[in-house]
Amino acid sequence: MNLFQMLVNGLSVVFQPTMLLMVFFAVILGTLFGSLPGVSATMAVALGLPFTYSMGPVQSIVFLVAIYCSSITGGSISAILFKIPGVPSSAATTFDGYPMAQQGKAGKALGVALGCSAIGGLFSALAMFLLSPQLTQAALSFGPSEMFAVTFLGLSILTGLDTTNILRTIISGLLGLLLACIGQDPMYGVQRMTFGSNQLLSGIEMIPVLIGIFAVTEVLTQTGEKSHLKGSDGIGGGKVNTEMPTFKEWLSIKWVVLRSSILGTVVGILPGAGATIASFMSYSVETKLSKHPEKFGTGIIDGIAASETANNAATGGAMVPLLSLGIPGGNAAAVMMSALVLKGVQMGPLLLINQPDYLSATFVSMIISNIVMVIVAILIAKVFAQILAVPYSFLGPIIIMLALIGSYSTSSNIMDVKIMAIAGIAGLLFRAMKFNSAALILGLVLGGICEGNFSRAFTISRGSLWTMFNRPIAGIVMLVCIGALLYPVVSPIIKKKFKPAGNVKK
Amino acid sequence: MFELILNVLLLLFLAYTLAFNVVEAPIPLKVQKNPYALKPGIWPSVILVLLIILLIVNIVKIILKNKGKDTFCLKGFAGGAVEFFKSKVFLGILLVVLASFILEPLGFIVTCFIILFTYGLLLGDKKYLRLLLISLILTLVLYICFGVLLQVNLPRGTVPFLRDFALFLEQLIS
Repeated sequence: MNLFQMLVNGLSVVFQPTMLLMVFFAVILGTLFGSLPGVSATMAVALGLPFTYSMGPVQSIVFLVAIYCSSITGGSISAILFKIPGVPSSAATTFDGYPMAQQGKAGKALGVALGCSAIGGLFSALAMFLLSPQLTQAALSFGPSEMFAVTFLGLSILTGLDTTNILRTIISGLLGLLLACIGQDPMYGVQRMTFGSNQLLSGIEMIPVLIGIFAVTEVLTQTGEKSHLKGSDGIGGGKVNTEMPTFKEWLSIKWVVLRSSILGTVVGILPGAGATIASFMSYSVETKLSKHPEKFGTGIIDGIAASETANNAATGGAMVPLLSLGIPGGNAAAVMMSALVLKGVQMGPLLLINQPDYLSATFVSMIISNIVMVIVAILIAKVFAQILAVPYSFLGPIIIMLALIGSYSTSSNIMDVKIMAIAGIAGLLFRAMKFNSAALILGLVLGGICEGNFSRAFTISRGSLWTMFNRPIAGIVMLVCIGALLYPVVSPIIKKKFKPAGNVKK
Repeated sequence: MFELILNVLLLLFLAYTLAFNVVEAPIPLKVQKNPYALKPGIWPSVILVLLIILLIVNIVKIILKNKGKDTFCLKGFAGGAVEFFKSKVFLGILLVVLASFILEPLGFIVTCFIILFTYGLLLGDKKYLRLLLISLILTLVLYICFGVLLQVNLPRGTVPFLRDFALFLEQLIS
C-alpha cells in the first residue's frame, strides 16, 4: 500500500462524525489535563484509558494520541503563566516563558509556545508517517537477537534517566523487570513468583500499575502538601489574550524551530528518552548556538520556541518504535501500548504490514490534534485562572475515582484495583527511597518482551550468548546499549580526571 | 533511617523470593532435557541476584552517608513513624485502600460518593454541605459518563439492596 492510499485510509477512519467528536474531546481533555500541574502527559493518557474501553483498537490509539499531543502543549500554559510546568516536559519553557509573562508579554509567550508546539507536532507526525514503514520493513528481517538488542536499547537508557542517582535508578529498573516475571514464564508457561495467588497467574497488568504510580501517588503526595495551587498564584486573575508571533518574529526563530523539530523527533524515537529530555536538550543546544546566549532565561521567544517545538516533536518520535517495532518510546507510549495489548492487538513489525490503518489513523489524528489544540489552548489560557481556582478538594478525589474506574475496567477484576492501590503506595515508598518510578515502568513494560526474545535467541543459538553480538544489527545495537549504559557512569569519572589537570596548568 | 529500613525490608523480601518462590511449579520434562533451553527460573534469578547485590551496596552507601547524624537512629525513626501515622498522607492511603476493598461489595455508586466526600474532607474542604452536594453530582456525572454513555462495566455491588438500587438507577437513566 502506498503512502497516498494509507493517507486516504487514515482520513476515512478519523473523519467519521463520532470519531472526530472524540478527537476534539480528547484534545480538550488533554490540554486541560496537561495544563493542570500534577497531571503529567502519561497520567493524562492513563486517565483517558476508560474512555477507550468501548472503542475499537484503531479508534483507541487515535483518541489516546490526541490526548498525548495536546497534554504536552497544555503544559506550557501553566509554565508561562504561573512558572509551574503542567507537564515535566514544559519545565524548560518556564525559563523564558515566565519572565516574558512578568514583563507583560504573557500573550506573546503563549502565542509562540502554541505556534511552535503545533509546528513541532506536525513535523514529527510527518516524520513518523514516513519513517515507520521503513523501520517496519527493516524490522521484518529481525530475529529474536535483534529484537532483544532493540528492547535492551530501551533498558540501556535507564542509567541516563537520573544521572545523579544511577544506582537507585538501576535498582528501580530491575524491580520493574522482576515484576514482569510474575505469573507464567513467556516460553513454557511455568508458574513463577505468584506466592500462591491464582489471581497473579496471568501476571501483573501494566495499566493498574501505571495508573497507581502516576496518578494515585501524585494525589497522595498532594494530600500531604500544606497549600494547594490556587488561581491567585503567579499572574492568575489577570486577563490573558494570546498573541501569535509576527512574520518577522517567525523569521527570526525559523532555524530554532527547524533544529528543535529534528532534535525532538530523533530524541523521541530513542526508546526510553521522551519529551522532557528533548526539550531540555533543545534548549541547551540553542543556548550554545545562539548569537546572544546571555539573553536566554531573561524572556526571549527563542527559548520558548526551542523547548516547546522539541517537546511536541518528541510525541511523533515516540510513536515510531511503538508502531513499527512494538516497543514504546516512552511512558505515555507504554500506556498506549497497554491499551492496544488489552484489546488483543499483537504488537510488533507485522502490525503495520497487516494493518497499516494504525499508522495512517495515528498520523491523521496527530495532524488534527496539533491544529485543533492551538484553538483549544487559546481558549483554555483565557479561562485558566478560573480553572486553577477549582479546589484540589474536588480535583484530587476525581483523579482517584478516574484511577479506580481505569483499573477496574481493564478486565473487570477487583484484583486490578488492589494492584493500583498497592502501586500508588509503592510510588510513595519509591519517593521515600529516592528510587525512580519511570525506570520501574520501563522495566515492567519491556521485561516480558526482553525475556521472551532473549530466551528464543538463546535456544536458537544452542545456548550461546555470543549470538547477541555476532549478527551485524544486533551487535551494533548491543554496542550502542553498552555505550549508553556506561556513559553516565564513566563520563563523571573522565571529567573528574581532567579537571585537576586543568587546574595544574593554571 | 526510614530509607534504610525500607531498603533492608526489600532486601529480605527479595532474598526470601530467591530462596523459595522463583519457580513454583514443576518444569516440563522436555525443557529439563533440552540443554539449550533457558530454564524458567534463570531470568528472574539473575535479576534477583543483581538486585540483592545492588541493594546491599545501596544500604552501605546510606549507612556511610548518614553515620553520626543525630536523626539516624531508631528513636528518630520512631518519632517520624508516629508523625506519619497522624498525617493526612496516611489517611489518604487508608482511603485508597478502603476504596479498593469496598468497590466490589458496595458497588461503584456508593464507593464513589464515599471517596469523593471523605477525600474532599481530608483535603481540607470545610464547606460540608457544598461538598456533599458536589460529591453527589460528581458521582452521578461519572456514573452516567462511564457506566451509561461509554458502557464501561462498573461494579453494581454484592449487597442486595445496593445492587437493586444500582439496577434501578440504570433503568431510570437508560
